[in-house]
Amino acid sequence: MTRRILRRSILWMVLGGLGLVLVLPVVAPAQEEVTTSLRRYQDRETSTGYYEDSEVKPFPFSSFLGGPGVVRSPFAYSPEAPQIPHTYLADAHRAVQFYNVQTCVACHAEEAKNIHTIRGNITCRQCHGGEPMASIAHYFSPLNPVRRYAYVCSKCHEGASASFATYVVHEPNPGALETRKTFSSLFYSDWFMYLLIVGTLGFFGAHTAVWVSKELYHVYTEKKRKPEDE
Amino acid sequence: MNDQVRIIRFNVIHRLFHLFVMVTFLIQAVTGLCRLLYATAWGRALTNFLGGYESVTTIHYRVGVAMLLGFAVHIVYILLKVEWKSLRQSLFHPDSLVPQLHDVIHLGQQVRWFFGLGPPPPFDRWTYWEKFDYMAVFWGIPLLGVTGLLLMYPLFTSYFLPGWMLNVILLLHRAEALLAMLYIFIIHFTVGHLRHGMFPMNECMFAGSVELEELRQEKPLWIVRLEEEGKLVDAIVPAPAPWFRVAYFIFGFLALSVGLYLLLILLIYHNYV
Repeated sequence: MTRRILRRSILWMVLGGLGLVLVLPVVAPAQEEVTTSLRRYQDRETSTGYYEDSEVKPFPFSSFLGGPGVVRSPFAYSPEAPQIPHTYLADAHRAVQFYNVQTCVACHAEEAKNIHTIRGNITCRQCHGGEPMASIAHYFSPLNPVRRYAYVCSKCHEGASASFATYVVHEPNPGALETRKTFSSLFYSDWFMYLLIVGTLGFFGAHTAVWVSKELYHVYTEKKRKPEDE
Repeated sequence: MNDQVRIIRFNVIHRLFHLFVMVTFLIQAVTGLCRLLYATAWGRALTNFLGGYESVTTIHYRVGVAMLLGFAVHIVYILLKVEWKSLRQSLFHPDSLVPQLHDVIHLGQQVRWFFGLGPPPPFDRWTYWEKFDYMAVFWGIPLLGVTGLLLMYPLFTSYFLPGWMLNVILLLHRAEALLAMLYIFIIHFTVGHLRHGMFPMNECMFAGSVELEELRQEKPLWIVRLEEEGKLVDAIVPAPAPWFRVAYFIFGFLALSVGLYLLLILLIYHNYV
């Protein structure tokens, strides 16, 4: 009786082991020199620019980056970086429906209106990389401020520095009220210049308009008077 | 016009400075608008006509540097003109373009005259609006030049300024250029050329001389001063030669029409500005 139970349990163990061998990954390929669970990691690395933790992972929650619960740093990398609600997704478009058949500008129409795109003829992917497109706050994104200057800007602007990379490509509307919080220096200089233009043109425009109309009035009245005098 | 006495108002150097600013300003306006309005059909067509975006950018850069060099030459000219031994008198002399208290008073008198409440102010050599025109360029060229140089070398700029300052600098450059264009094409053109008595074109800046009788009306204090100093006889010059008049009329109308055309473009594409 006990022998039968023992034999049966051995049989089940062997069958279970065989089943596990079928389900679990094969032992030999798993011993290849690959640092990630992703297959063909190197290809992905070169095509997307995403790197592994061990290679480039910065100190977690660097004060430069901003993030949940992190107050804006006095040395912020970008004036608007800490203000934008960031996600930290490796694939920013993970939940977008019908993503494969969409164009970038179908959703990001405003973002396409920037000098790089209009004048430099730069496409979105030349900076944001291929799929999957990471959020710029994601640690491994090439557009993460910690490496943006080296991975993106210096592709064209040879010698770009971290300071240079804080240029805001997708500039907010300078006159909009939200810009006062996200990019205050742009907001205030825009309003300063706006008032200067309106003030100068308004003052001298009115001055000139009154002047011209006065002279025309004089011409008109003199013409009218002359035949009567003669 | 040959039988009238003419007084020199701008010598050859002054006229060359004005000509230089005219030509470079219009080139910068055209190439700058090409860049600003590159998203529009007009901007793209004109840019392609001028040899493409990079060519337009190169023209804009080089003419900008030329403007700054011209400004440096002008500074040297001013430094040579100022009498350093009597600096105060030299700066506040009626021949000087430095704004003074009486310019503000003249403005008040002029406004009073506009509404028929008094006589027109007695102007000397420079009226307050002429001084403003001059000071606007004097202020505008360094501002546009410095911001332009910073934008021309963005990598160098980012060594001593944070990169996002380039956004601000570009905004300042664009807004100041817009102000300059609108001021010149609307107000300077109207005051200089469209007013009654000036229409269709004020020749003074090209011919360099104005009729004495006209000046007695417009700038009585200057003529009185010249008479008192005994310089009026020296200031009399012959009328410009007919070929010269033809040449500057053609050139002047060309420049005027370019300016008014650009003003029209600015109005049409105001959404893109």
